[in-house]
Amino acid sequence: MKMAAARCWKLVSRGRGLSLHTAAEAASTATESTSTDVATTPVARYPPIVASLTAKSKAARLRRVERWQATVHAAQSVDEKLRILTKMQFMKYMVYPQTFALNADRWYQGFTKTVYLSGLPSPPVEPEAPLDLGALRDAACDSLLQEHFYLRRRRRAPLREEPETVVSPFLDQLVVALMGLLSPQNPVLASASVDFKRPVHFYWLRGEEIIPGGHRSGRIDAVRYQIDDKPNNQIRIPKQLPEFVPLDYSVPVEIPVMKCKPDKLPLFKRQYENSIFIGSKTADPCCYGHTQFHLLPDKLKREKLLKQNRADQIEVVFRANAIASLFAWTGAQAMYQGFWSEADVTRPFVSQGVITDGKYFSFFCYQLNTLALTAQADQNNPRKNVCWGTQSKPLYETIEGNNVKGFNDDVLLQMVHFLLNKPREDRPQVLES
Amino acid sequence: MAASGYSSRGTLIGMALASRPAQRAFLGSGQLGFGACGIPRREAYEWGVRSTRKPEPPPLDRVYEIPGLEPITYAGKMHFVPGLARPVFPPWDRGWKHPRYHRSPPIHEQPLYKEEPCYIFHQRCRLLEGVKQALWLTKTKLIEGLPEKVSSLVDEQQNHIENQDERVLNIISHARLWHSMEDIPKRETYCPIIVDSLLQLCKSQILKYPSVARRICAKNHSLSAAWTRESVLLQVRGTSGIRLSAKDPLPPIASREEVEATRNHVLETFYPISPTIDLQECHVYDLKDDTGFQEGYPYPYPHTLYLMETADLQPHRFHPEQLRAKMILFAFGSALAQARLLYGDSKVLEQPIVVQSVGTDGRVFQFLVLQLNTTDLASNEGIKNLVWVDSDQLLYRHFWCRPVIKKKVVVNLITAPGMLLWSVGHHFVLQRQPCHPTHHPTLDLPAFIPAAPPQLPVLFSEAFWPIPALPCVREPVGPVDFQPETFRKFLALYLHGCPEP
Repeated sequence: MKMAAARCWKLVSRGRGLSLHTAAEAASTATESTSTDVATTPVARYPPIVASLTAKSKAARLRRVERWQATVHAAQSVDEKLRILTKMQFMKYMVYPQTFALNADRWYQGFTKTVYLSGLPSPPVEPEAPLDLGALRDAACDSLLQEHFYLRRRRRAPLREEPETVVSPFLDQLVVALMGLLSPQNPVLASASVDFKRPVHFYWLRGEEIIPGGHRSGRIDAVRYQIDDKPNNQIRIPKQLPEFVPLDYSVPVEIPVMKCKPDKLPLFKRQYENSIFIGSKTADPCCYGHTQFHLLPDKLKREKLLKQNRADQIEVVFRANAIASLFAWTGAQAMYQGFWSEADVTRPFVSQGVITDGKYFSFFCYQLNTLALTAQADQNNPRKNVCWGTQSKPLYETIEGNNVKGFNDDVLLQMVHFLLNKPREDRPQVLES
Repeated sequence: MAASGYSSRGTLIGMALASRPAQRAFLGSGQLGFGACGIPRREAYEWGVRSTRKPEPPPLDRVYEIPGLEPITYAGKMHFVPGLARPVFPPWDRGWKHPRYHRSPPIHEQPLYKEEPCYIFHQRCRLLEGVKQALWLTKTKLIEGLPEKVSSLVDEQQNHIENQDERVLNIISHARLWHSMEDIPKRETYCPIIVDSLLQLCKSQILKYPSVARRICAKNHSLSAAWTRESVLLQVRGTSGIRLSAKDPLPPIASREEVEATRNHVLETFYPISPTIDLQECHVYDLKDDTGFQEGYPYPYPHTLYLMETADLQPHRFHPEQLRAKMILFAFGSALAQARLLYGDSKVLEQPIVVQSVGTDGRVFQFLVLQLNTTDLASNEGIKNLVWVDSDQLLYRHFWCRPVIKKKVVVNLITAPGMLLWSVGHHFVLQRQPCHPTHHPTLDLPAFIPAAPPQLPVLFSEAFWPIPALPCVREPVGPVDFQPETFRKFLALYLHGCPEP
């Protein structure tokens, strides 16, 4: 009797768990569909036949992954969700927004599923409030001259430290001055929060690879990335900026596909704390991003690239910085609202970025349409993230003594338009005639 | 040296020592360093590197001491010859200035050396006598409390920003907890963030006060001002905190009569302590007055200086008294440099110069308004300068970064109808539910749990279902004892000088 029972068990369990499970499910659904009205047909009185949790099988691994995903879905607070998503540490690629790698912007587009469109999106039609361009220009020139000429510092900083000692305070002062002058027209700037050199972190998974060596060699493993960024300034607002294009907007441009492993970029792997941070913790009411200002370091400056015969990489540096930084910021904002790769965003997250090296400015807009970048979630995902950007233009020609020569009003106007971007609730309603 | 890797470090070093006396000396040493083994005495080693310093050069030959005698050296022969004197060569001169190998000349030979010492106050000087000493050094009279003009700005309702208290509380939480990924951010980060955010909040008043746009902040400026007090040379030098500069000067606060009345004020001395105690005595100095900005700066008038104490450790931070003294001296220095630039030296100013200062360590604020009436500071007589000080204003008493949770929990268990079983920690007590709940006198329990004497016998009824224990949170995360008055004073000092809207 016992032998028979054991034989019965073996017969039942030898087959693939999946097929039995699906067969049982099909049978139960079939019976349910045919017998919804007829109460006489009995429902299954045994628990659902599912794959094992602890077996060394692909089905068991799938079930464990689903169980983990269910805990994330069931998490009560965003902090708990982020903790479950980031608590396991594995080797991951460190993506640096400011990098010397060649053609880094094409690689980063692949990592973040971003489409790059040159030119900024058209601003919404709105009654233009009169701008006092003279006052704005004076404020910009005053900040520029204060740092470059008027301020007598203790020790004259060497040229290689010029970004930190001269350009960084100039950017801080410029942002604060412009925000002050524009806050009458854009009330959200008055309630915004400005961060100076606060870190921004983002951790995500994209794609799969086969582990080359070690005790897990030959197995398929997800590829993990982490961005640890430190923008010079960023403005965070309590309400979200309106979208530039609809959520499911299909861009005809293709995302570049790189044929090599990310290691060839070069990109290096390390294992350390996975963190997701927009610049302040989840309890902060200003949890949506407005604009980031980035300062390029001395080793990526134009003169150096020209001397190395890499004139085409000048724009690449700006673009790569924008794509990586803005993706990290918008992605972290989306995760702060509870979205993640299995719970994709239901509304687009929009941020703006200004990248500069002190003289040349370039402007970028980023719209995050999807967070589902893992191999499992990306199977039927037509959405792509979009990044719009401009070429770098100089703000001024030279500074001679206490004079700024060749001040470019267009660059200033563009920055002003960026700062005047406001959430939909604050916009004046366009009257239907 | 063949000691096993598993032995303790003491035996490792002990076995590595060559000779027996050295080992004995090592093991018997009185000093105990890491763990059980001790650091060996210097005499214990017979080998090894004591120091990488070059050995001293051998002393000169005796023949050099005999005057009038020309020593015969082996310099011409280009090699050592026993019997001839050792040549003395002049020190090698590179011929050009290498930045890495620069040796400063001795103090007496420096170009700026002067016989008379100068006492310099820099940003890390902690004055022993605090505010009293600062008042004597700057020939100033102290008035407690902010001046009338500024206090009226504090109380005026129209100056208040909408949701002011809520926004300041958000700023405090952001600076003390939210801005960093750490659990408890350090003072070095949160103190500048609080000051920057409060300045940002004040600047949002630009709608009501458009002249706020005529101001600019500057960091890393270097101030320098020099004056004489009773034939003692004094200087203020330093770069400290944020300076808010304005295009328009601050109007004088005290009237002419009050300024004249300071003639009768006698400066407080603190004999036998010298007034120059804790100042750095220098013989190499340059007497100059430098506002920190070049000529033609569009924002020439110093409005407010914001000084921050950001050291994490309490002994490294300035005491409130020392911070107030530093604020007085730096405000005085900026005002004096400005006065010398505008009016020259040594006279009573027609138009007194007013400079404000705010000092903080992220929680406690000190406010100060200084009016420079005279640059004639040599004697103790005559008109004095005025300073109004409002000290030790708390913005909040404490900030909990983590919630304080009481460990002993109160469990409300419902038993048979009409009976209440409650427990504190491990003690269970059953009580008949009274008609009206009362507040427990000793424990800080919510009012719905009725008071019960602890002498009742422990009873358990049959049908009861315990509700899981909830830890009761004593102190939630956030600031404790927030004082909105302090921010109103901060805002008033910021808006001081703006014309009425």
